[in-house]
Amino acid sequence: MDPRAKAEEDLRVIRSLMERATVYRAISAPTALVAGLLSTLAAVAIYWNNEVSLFFDRPMRGRQFAEFWIAVLFVAVAANTFFIWREARRTGRPFVSSGMKLAVRGIAPCLLVPAAFTAWFFGTGYLGGAELELVVVWIVSYGLALLSTALFAPRSLALLGWAFLLSGMAIPALNNLIEDFPIDIPLAAMGTTFGLYHLIYAAFTWPRKRARFQAEPALE
Amino acid sequence: MLDFDKLDKAIHEKGRLAIMTLLATRVGWTFQDLKEELRMSDGNLITHLRTLHRLGLVAYTKEVHDRPQTTYALTVKGRAAFKDYLHVLEQIVKAGKK
Repeated sequence: MDPRAKAEEDLRVIRSLMERATVYRAISAPTALVAGLLSTLAAVAIYWNNEVSLFFDRPMRGRQFAEFWIAVLFVAVAANTFFIWREARRTGRPFVSSGMKLAVRGIAPCLLVPAAFTAWFFGTGYLGGAELELVVVWIVSYGLALLSTALFAPRSLALLGWAFLLSGMAIPALNNLIEDFPIDIPLAAMGTTFGLYHLIYAAFTWPRKRARFQAEPALE
Repeated sequence: MLDFDKLDKAIHEKGRLAIMTLLATRVGWTFQDLKEELRMSDGNLITHLRTLHRLGLVAYTKEVHDRPQTTYALTVKGRAAFKDYLHVLEQIVKAGKK
């Protein structure tokens, strides 16, 4: 191999290794599993309460609906924090890593709109039955938040972000069509995206023991 | 004409180059993480790390949490050597394009 080709090959290997080493997965597979299970259970519980048998004293709509999902969010965030802490402890790395700082810097601005919209919903929005709008804002913003880490996140996380973003955008676009469905659209949207999508993501990204010999060339 | 002998032979070996690259991305890498990322055998990895340590390019610390853990990091000399190595590679690529 001539020196230039060898130098280019070395630079390519260095770049690829550096990219791989700096990848940061803001949502780990265990977090996605917890979030997916919780969201699915929450959707089923609300559906059961509203349509089959009241066990929350009254139908979960408006503020209660939003409060219930915010509680799910807090538990999922707590689980994520725990999993990141456990991984940091296992590997001896700092809990607040450079990757985490980068992710937070990207994600934080995307959370301003849903925070403001949720505040509005709790103030007056719930009176007009704006659950669907709230859910769309949550789903789209979550998708954008995930995509804001796409430059240093694994491809699977970016795909999850796109799935949320496109699904959230599709709800108002298909509003006329889905309005006739005999189901609670906000609830179905939450269960499908935060529940099902997270479970699919967890299944595809669950850590598996890597084979020593793989198709790609080893670096040794 | 570029002098190819300027390339640091210690880093030029593919396994050691990969180790130096990973060490350049973070403050420290545990042995297990390096092994997992590079898919090297224990023996191969430790041999390369010893070579780099002997040359003063890599430092290590041993800690015991739940179990003993060795963390490797680039020394100042190692970081400078890696930068120089990259610089020489860039020069070779540029010279080849002319």
